[in-house]
Amino acid sequence: MLLIETDGKTLFAEHGIPVPECVLVTGSVPPLPGDGPWVVKAQVPVGGRGKAGGIAFCDSPAAVAAATSRLLGSRLKGHAVDACLVEAAATGQERYLAIMVDAASYGLRVIYAAQGGVEIEQSGSAQGRLCAPHPGAVAEVLADLIADEPIAWRTQIATVGKAMASMLLRQELALVEINPLFVSDSGCVAGDAKVVIDLNAVFRQPRIAALLTARPAIYLDACRKLEEGFDYVELDPAGEIGLVTTGAGLSMMLIDELTARGAKPLNFCDIRTGQMRGSPARLIRVLQWITERPSLKAVLVNIFAGITDLGEFAGLLAAAIAASPSLQVPVVARLVGRNAAEAKRILHDAQPGMLVTEDLAEALVRIDAIVGAAA
Amino acid sequence: MIGSLSRSTPVIVQGITGRMGRSHAALMRAYGTNIVGGTSTRTDMTEAAGVPVFTSCAEAVLETGALASVAMAPPEETWAAVREALAGGIKLIVTVAEGVPLHDAIKIGRAVRRAGAVWVGASTPGLAVPGECKLGFLPDVCLNPGPIGIMSKSGTLSYEVGYRLAREGLGQSIWVGVGGDPVKGVRFADMLPVFFDDPRTKSIVLVGEVGGAEEEECADAYARLGARKPLLALIAGREAKEGVSMGHAGALVHGESGTLESKSKRLTAAGAKVFGSIDSLIARCLRYHRFDKR
Repeated sequence: MLLIETDGKTLFAEHGIPVPECVLVTGSVPPLPGDGPWVVKAQVPVGGRGKAGGIAFCDSPAAVAAATSRLLGSRLKGHAVDACLVEAAATGQERYLAIMVDAASYGLRVIYAAQGGVEIEQSGSAQGRLCAPHPGAVAEVLADLIADEPIAWRTQIATVGKAMASMLLRQELALVEINPLFVSDSGCVAGDAKVVIDLNAVFRQPRIAALLTARPAIYLDACRKLEEGFDYVELDPAGEIGLVTTGAGLSMMLIDELTARGAKPLNFCDIRTGQMRGSPARLIRVLQWITERPSLKAVLVNIFAGITDLGEFAGLLAAAIAASPSLQVPVVARLVGRNAAEAKRILHDAQPGMLVTEDLAEALVRIDAIVGAAA
Repeated sequence: MIGSLSRSTPVIVQGITGRMGRSHAALMRAYGTNIVGGTSTRTDMTEAAGVPVFTSCAEAVLETGALASVAMAPPEETWAAVREALAGGIKLIVTVAEGVPLHDAIKIGRAVRRAGAVWVGASTPGLAVPGECKLGFLPDVCLNPGPIGIMSKSGTLSYEVGYRLAREGLGQSIWVGVGGDPVKGVRFADMLPVFFDDPRTKSIVLVGEVGGAEEEECADAYARLGARKPLLALIAGREAKEGVSMGHAGALVHGESGTLESKSKRLTAAGAKVFGSIDSLIARCLRYHRFDKR
């Protein structure tokens, strides 16, 4: 999961990687660092902000104020812009430096390019080298990659690389990328920070946990996962079909198929029926989030139960529906697997009008009818 | 090792006295897997799920000759479980935990490689040779001996595929859940030679999802190895949200990397067929294998 730039740079500073002087703006603009020019950057956890219009170069405080007021409250690549980072523009030559986990080799990949910039990943000019996941190994391959740089710069770049490697290993990160890295005779400065964390390691990485919980609105999906122990991702706040599903792959496929037939799914969900242990709490939570959206027209429950007893699940679903007065739209349940007949009987008694079927096609046709009738 | 699994392959369950360990050891035995024992830190139990309980993998291997292990350990203890299995001489390790930290997975991968063993997982429902044995918890209702090799990142989506194939009378030769983590044991590309060399396998179904580069890697290997058997792919996540893990840690799209388009293009160029829906994949399998039977 990608951190927003300002959090990435906070980690950089803590690990000794130089970053520009900056101020985080969420409303009116405070005194700016330096005499300009400045760079204004929307703080959203997604790449390609520059191309999407989320970065502005400003010569005057008035231009900074105009840029922040344009960006704040807007949406950028699907994310609400709640904060902008305003930095004193760094100077120097632009380089690209990244260290990332390389899945296939069980090691790290170090990438260095003599040109930074937004096109770097497409241009193919970046050189990558694999190495063992140790700071010494990173230093060795980086020394090779920067061999053509002026001697005075090599030491500076190597120092940054060493700090990036130790940060990646100590904080158990997936990726640390600086693009551009500004290099000049007076030193290196990180123009940007792309830091991808491992949510599965947050339980033993208190610094990362603190960064996430400090911004519950920006890291909504991650905070939810850490707090609730399962996955729920809102895809479209104006979606019409709320999904109560288990299994990441099947849930994603269902979203793809719904979208392909013109339906508008609201959310992704991997509720993990195997971990519910006789409590409807997770189901109630999901129904609560789904029903917060006024565009909701139907709820589709899709459970393939390999191990889970569907009879038990049906009882929990009935209890959750009964405990969710905000649920005012029809529910369709497609339940297949262990004890499906019993589940059908339980839900028929509790919710007489509800379609409960083993056939996904039948469930989707019913959803189409409900959404069509509501339109 | 995966290609030669059978009902006689001796298997142990690490963590057999826990809730999950006990119940899945019993389910695996009921399916026909040769579960010869288990391990536990508890010293007050000498038997669980009808098999002896040992205090370490080394002891279990010594007493039973076990070759494979299913580690029913929580994510934060999976690395320790694998270390113990390797030290005991286990050759095939299945780790089912979901949420193993990335840097632990790197350590596991390096240790397994050094030991010359095979690792399936993490975040996998396991693997099966239908009609012979299963290591993990692939649901029996989906398993049916037949000509299709399945490899999948997702448990549930592969259950759906396997279930519909089984309902139509088709079945699987070898089924491996490679798991949804980015850093893992056996990858899609590693399975191609296994399926190519397995005489039971007539076609291969790949159930992938967005994120990472495994599908692309597999496409390259498929072309390189000569596309010896049909490869049919279903890839989930066209509508995945950028920058957010969709349930699986590995299902993460950044910019243009890891997208469905990238995977679909590479696989198609390599000679594989990519399907946009479960129905169309199943229909193609039916056409191919019904024709094949006549």
